Amino acid sequence: MSFIELDSIEFAYEDGMKVFSGFSAATECGTCTVLTGDNGSGKTTLLRILTGLSFVQDGRYVFDGTEITARFLRDNARSKLFHKRVGFLFQNPDVMLFNPKVYDEIAFGPRQMGLTDEETDRRVRDILELFDIADLAERVPYHLSGGQKKKVALASVIALDPEVLILDEPMSGLDRQSRSWHADFLTELKRAGRTLITATHEPELIQNLADQVIDLS
Amino acid sequence: MKLPEWMNTPDSYVPPGGSLFAVKTIRSLGRIMSDLRVQRGHEKARAVPALIKIPLLLAVIITVSAVQSRLVLLAFGAVLLGYLCIWPARDILSVVRPSAAAGLLAAVLLLPALIAGSTGPANSALFVAKVVLCVMSVSIFNHTTQWYHITAALRKLHVPGVFVFALDITLRYIVLLGRLICDLLTSLSLRSVGKARGRYGSVGGVMGVTFVRGAELNRETYEAMRCRGFTDDYSGL
Repeated sequence: MSFIELDSIEFAYEDGMKVFSGFSAATECGTCTVLTGDNGSGKTTLLRILTGLSFVQDGRYVFDGTEITARFLRDNARSKLFHKRVGFLFQNPDVMLFNPKVYDEIAFGPRQMGLTDEETDRRVRDILELFDIADLAERVPYHLSGGQKKKVALASVIALDPEVLILDEPMSGLDRQSRSWHADFLTELKRAGRTLITATHEPELIQNLADQVIDLS
Repeated sequence: MKLPEWMNTPDSYVPPGGSLFAVKTIRSLGRIMSDLRVQRGHEKARAVPALIKIPLLLAVIITVSAVQSRLVLLAFGAVLLGYLCIWPARDILSVVRPSAAAGLLAAVLLLPALIAGSTGPANSALFVAKVVLCVMSVSIFNHTTQWYHITAALRKLHVPGVFVFALDITLRYIVLLGRLICDLLTSLSLRSVGKARGRYGSVGGVMGVTFVRGAELNRETYEAMRCRGFTDDYSGL
């Protein structure tokens, strides 16, 4: 059995519009899967299913040998463990930034994990340095530029050190330099054995990083 | 680029139990705000036009408030319940629930006066019944009329443009802010992998971001209107 497996899933929106009918896919640990497709083809919906935010109406979603269902995630301890293992970067970084300072935004996850203040501080400093955003530590996240917000949002997810990183259009709206930085960072993450699943239209990312491309058009 | 050392070693993380009460509560609030605009109620193809329903609703509220006869109130209540009987169960619930809640609130507010003896049980019951009937009428109206029909009818009734415009914009942005709250709370809950250490402060942050975004949307809409020739004259809207 694969690390992440979707088996003949069915999914329709509330208005009855069917997005997936008998769709199957699988991905292995430490690989990068890229989702492509036209607008409205269901990329974000599929990512939400993989993150446990939406649930398949038929078929099975199996993560590391466990079937992920609404009932399974109703248990708080199981839900927290799943979300610790699977990090999700929203397409719109604004919805991920709710703390008064960038430092607190990144420290939120480590504090939740019960790390000591020293460990949390070390982790946050490491991330600020890695992301080259140490000068933003005391800034209000909401007032940053689009590219900076995207970096802080990704940093806040990375602070949880997830095994699987699910990214919804991580490079949309970024300039060339930021796109290059993101591509390098994702390459490094993959090299470190993380599983990446991303929706993107970036040909460079698809060419350099993807082990598997799923076209949902 | 070199990843930090802690990323190459497994975390000693044990997931705790515990619920996400505050998160769930505010998420429900966000959904209610979204539903307010989406309006899942049933407005039939040959429904009574909002232009007639609005004055009718006002007349009903005034009459119910003024009438003193219990028989008239009972008859009106019977008509409303009879009408509701032909609705699907879920829709009946969405009308009855706010009416019952309003009735309960009115009863609680009247309780001190009732205990002090400044009003009789009969009068109190009459007041509670009037509250329930008025809220039920408004709920039925809300459930059977789309917002854009209401604003269109208000224009035809010569309600000042500034009022209609403010109502329309408010309803439109309630949906956006409702979605924003839902997304912020989803993101919060995804990263809430432990005990509630500073989480309630984050809920305050969510509300703060929503407030700031609301103010921004307000400013941006105004600026976009000015760019398209708006001169603070609401009469033409």
